[in-house]
Amino acid sequence: MKILALNGSFRKNGNTEILLKQALMGAESEGAEVEILRLTDYKIEPCRGCGLCLFRENVCQVQGDDVSFIFSKVDGCEGVILGAPCYFLELTAVVKQLIDRCWILGHKIGKIKKPAAVIIPYATRGWTPYVSVQSNLLLTLMGLMKINEITVCTQGISEVVLDQEAMDLAFSLGKEIAVAIKKKDFTYKGEAGLCPSCHDWLVRILKDQETVECPTCGVRGKLIFVDGKISMKFEEKAWADARFRPDVQYNHFTYHIAPSKDYFLRTKEERKTLTQKYREYLRKEGE
Amino acid sequence: MNKYIVKLRYYPGDPLEDIREKDLKGFESEYGVNISYEKIENRVMKDGLLMERTLDKHIEDVSQEVITLSSGKEDSFSGCIVALYKKYRCPRTPYSLMGSNEAGQKIAKKLMEMHGGW
Repeated sequence: MKILALNGSFRKNGNTEILLKQALMGAESEGAEVEILRLTDYKIEPCRGCGLCLFRENVCQVQGDDVSFIFSKVDGCEGVILGAPCYFLELTAVVKQLIDRCWILGHKIGKIKKPAAVIIPYATRGWTPYVSVQSNLLLTLMGLMKINEITVCTQGISEVVLDQEAMDLAFSLGKEIAVAIKKKDFTYKGEAGLCPSCHDWLVRILKDQETVECPTCGVRGKLIFVDGKISMKFEEKAWADARFRPDVQYNHFTYHIAPSKDYFLRTKEERKTLTQKYREYLRKEGE
Repeated sequence: MNKYIVKLRYYPGDPLEDIREKDLKGFESEYGVNISYEKIENRVMKDGLLMERTLDKHIEDVSQEVITLSSGKEDSFSGCIVALYKKYRCPRTPYSLMGSNEAGQKIAKKLMEMHGGW
């Protein structure tokens, strides 16, 4: 049983790394073999948006960076712990950089299922609204299922070691992942959240001002009050539309993305004419 | 004369509920517009999923349901589009209005921004 920690923090022996290592120690106590990758040690080029990977399986225009290596490491383990700090309302840029490169995994979304956990250190309470969106997205795109997540309020480098409760939580989280793998029980064990699927607390109000949506899952429902508490009510059939269901993903690729090739080809001449002025405008030398 | 014509192309999984001709007839009489409906089905069941290879097909040939709405009156046309968007949600791709005339497409796109297609 191999558990991989992905560290989205640049800082060596910073709070994220310490918490991840603590979680790996927990996993080891359950018999896991462990490994940690600091994502910023690897070259992760930005996605070029060329679309090649969407139309031809496993083909990426970006050559010579380490993204395939990182994905192969995820492929080669049985569970993942993702750690990344939150500086400005969301996770670090390297996490987003990796999310954008997940297009190449599009052909196998929904096919692999492994458990994952998330650790997010942050400094100021209230500055973390989008962290779960990003972590949920990265894990889902890599074929992983989140079974728990912890956020830890801590600030200066390595200060988290002073917070024994946080350290214990991280250790337990590591154990939890290992136990989940052993029992093949990938059910969610964390705080419920508003969305029963991704367990986030975020909600998007649609412009009709009647409908709300989980921004990650794309499932629509109504905002309701139960005993004075805000809740989201989803019709059972709404779940058929959850963004990361294998059939929904399949339809998205098959009907929203693949036929765009036809549109792209048939508008080629028109685009060529209309884009000419933009090719010339503010053109830099050598371009 | 039908000044406004729009084709709303819903691909598998796009409509929030089944598109039924009976419901479309209801909209047609409620808003005084013309509606026609075409269903193209090329999917086959494989590994528990309805599958289709669409990569090298023309957009008009892949599985889809096309609601064609036409009217000479802008308010009836717009009202019916909003009703369709509310029932089925907006079509979802940049090419989902292909085949519309310019006047119809302009209204349909504007209403998408207001009714959930963003």
